[in-house]
Amino acid sequence: MNTIEVKNLRRIYRATTGVIRRKVKEVEAVKDVSFDIKEGELFGLLGPNGAGKTTTVKVLATLLIPDAGEVRVKGLDIVKDANEVRKQIGFIFGGERGLYWRLSAIDNLRYFASLYHVDPEVSKKRIPELLELVGLKGRGDERVQGYSRGMKQRLHVARTLLHDPDILFLDEPTIGLDPVGAREFREVIRNLQSEKKTILLTTHYMFEADSLCERVAVIDKGEIVALDTPSALKKHVRDLSVVEIETFGIDPKVIDDIRKLPFVDALSTREQDHRQLLLVQTERGAEAVPDLIASLEGMRIGRVTVREPTLEDAYVRLVGGKA
Amino acid sequence: MNIITKNLRLFWQGTVLSYVALFAWFRPVTYAASKILMPLAQIIFFTFLGSYASGGTDVDFYVIGNAIQITAVSGIFGVTMSIGGDRWAGTLPYLFGTPANRMMLFFGRAFMHIIDGAFGVVIALGWGALLFGVDFSHTDFSALGLTIIVTTTSTCGLGLLMGCLSLITANVMFVNNTVYFLLLIFSGANIAIDTLPNWMQAFSKALPLTRGIASARTLIAGGSFADVAPLLVSEIGIGIAYGILGYFLFTWFELHAKRKGTLETV
Ligand SMILES: Nc1ncnc2c1ncn2[C@@H]1O[C@H](COP(=O)(O)OP(=O)(O)OP(=O)(O)O)[C@@H](O)[C@H]1O
Ligand SMILES: [Mg+2]
Repeated sequence: MNTIEVKNLRRIYRATTGVIRRKVKEVEAVKDVSFDIKEGELFGLLGPNGAGKTTTVKVLATLLIPDAGEVRVKGLDIVKDANEVRKQIGFIFGGERGLYWRLSAIDNLRYFASLYHVDPEVSKKRIPELLELVGLKGRGDERVQGYSRGMKQRLHVARTLLHDPDILFLDEPTIGLDPVGAREFREVIRNLQSEKKTILLTTHYMFEADSLCERVAVIDKGEIVALDTPSALKKHVRDLSVVEIETFGIDPKVIDDIRKLPFVDALSTREQDHRQLLLVQTERGAEAVPDLIASLEGMRIGRVTVREPTLEDAYVRLVGGKA
Repeated sequence: MNIITKNLRLFWQGTVLSYVALFAWFRPVTYAASKILMPLAQIIFFTFLGSYASGGTDVDFYVIGNAIQITAVSGIFGVTMSIGGDRWAGTLPYLFGTPANRMMLFFGRAFMHIIDGAFGVVIALGWGALLFGVDFSHTDFSALGLTIIVTTTSTCGLGLLMGCLSLITANVMFVNNTVYFLLLIFSGANIAIDTLPNWMQAFSKALPLTRGIASARTLIAGGSFADVAPLLVSEIGIGIAYGILGYFLFTWFELHAKRKGTLETV
């Protein structure tokens, strides 16, 4: 039996707008999503903004009732056996909300420990251990009000480990962490993984998914478009190379023109200060460079490099060059 | 550790921590003002106004009425903050993601406000004795103590229902203020119930506080526990009814929010 089983999950949001003439607007956040996670597996869920990742995690965390489909955690139905499921899982949604700002970190943890029915004797020992684990040792007596965003996020990690759950749902846990903090956090995830915890991780950082996850699913517009190991996904783009061209103040119209070139498979851009980095995926590799430069005629160009594709390039191709 | 002591400790821990976490007035100056100055101001205002209007005959009526009514500060405003505060803290998803017993969670949120409210009434009665010479020499104190606890509890029952409204609507301070003033008028704190039109009397009887205030007046005037026992039974019954209604609304809210995806909407 798989620890997590998601079968044909569907979830629609209905929002009513307008006071007098009420209109119902429907958003199909998750259309039809199926995947399984094995016991002890670290599974990544990737996808562009609004793809339905958080919605999927919320359903798994018993915070949203699905419109259709079946979702099981350790064989338990997340709607019918919600309370049993809650004892087995921990979850965090990236960001700093969701803590009691008037309480100290330790008191936040004590409060959530009481909600999870953790024996007070046990939590007394575990809370300092967890604070140390997330790097908040010595700051536990301070009110969360005065915490930085990253510190609040670390506290969330401690919060979700209070009842020592076997299963963790981590929705963008490293968002807003400084680079050192993010690296430490990935170390924490690796440790949890070595403790045989089953983990679902969503992230926008491809290297993070590549270095941590055993398998990843790419979700786009509420549907899974790929599901495999990171190395297998990279094979999809093995025949491609990536040409990176540094430009300065490029016209969006020119980008569209390049995207239409016959030998261009996918194109994404990345803003860096006043520069834009064009990432062009093409089978022609270095041979494409002269043609690409020709289409940028009259514009200021910086460094041009040709490299092997990464998981991010595979991802960009899967979600249609939107990243 | 034995299972009962464990559960009691967990309940106590959750109760005290959630009180500190969510009751925004729980900081030294604000708390002192709400416990000492606000009751003083209310008692002075209504006692002078009332005794002026009635020709200065019945100071005790106003002092006792307002002193008991003060419990609505904790019972209505405090409890509402403790129930509705999670919406503002963004903690609802984390709260409803725990396996915590919802009934314990819900009623636990009112627990400290019962103690707090009773404390406020004692201070207010103290002001009454000090400033207006209310005479407690014929009072059965244990019966008065019970009256205070019962009344405070029943007012918190209404507060629990109001707190649920604050989870659902954004306009809760308006609702709370309205309820507070309705209680000022219809609980008999300042206007004798039997002088009200019939339909208003019916409304008074459906409110907490009304019987508690009557009971306190009877006891301070020298009445016995037997005189007020029926009042107290009805008073607590009304409070429990509001509390249960609130609890159903709370469980409905959780289900509804999970259906609609509105757990995080502010
Ligand atoms: N509570 C809500 N009410 C209405 N629509 C919602 C709600 N939550 C999400 N949506 C919509 O559902 C879709 C999927 O949102 P979701 O938050 O699951 O995306 P996501 O993959 O987590 O995106 P991101 O990477 O930006 O976090 C979006 O179109 C979003 O606007
Ligand atoms: Mg999201």
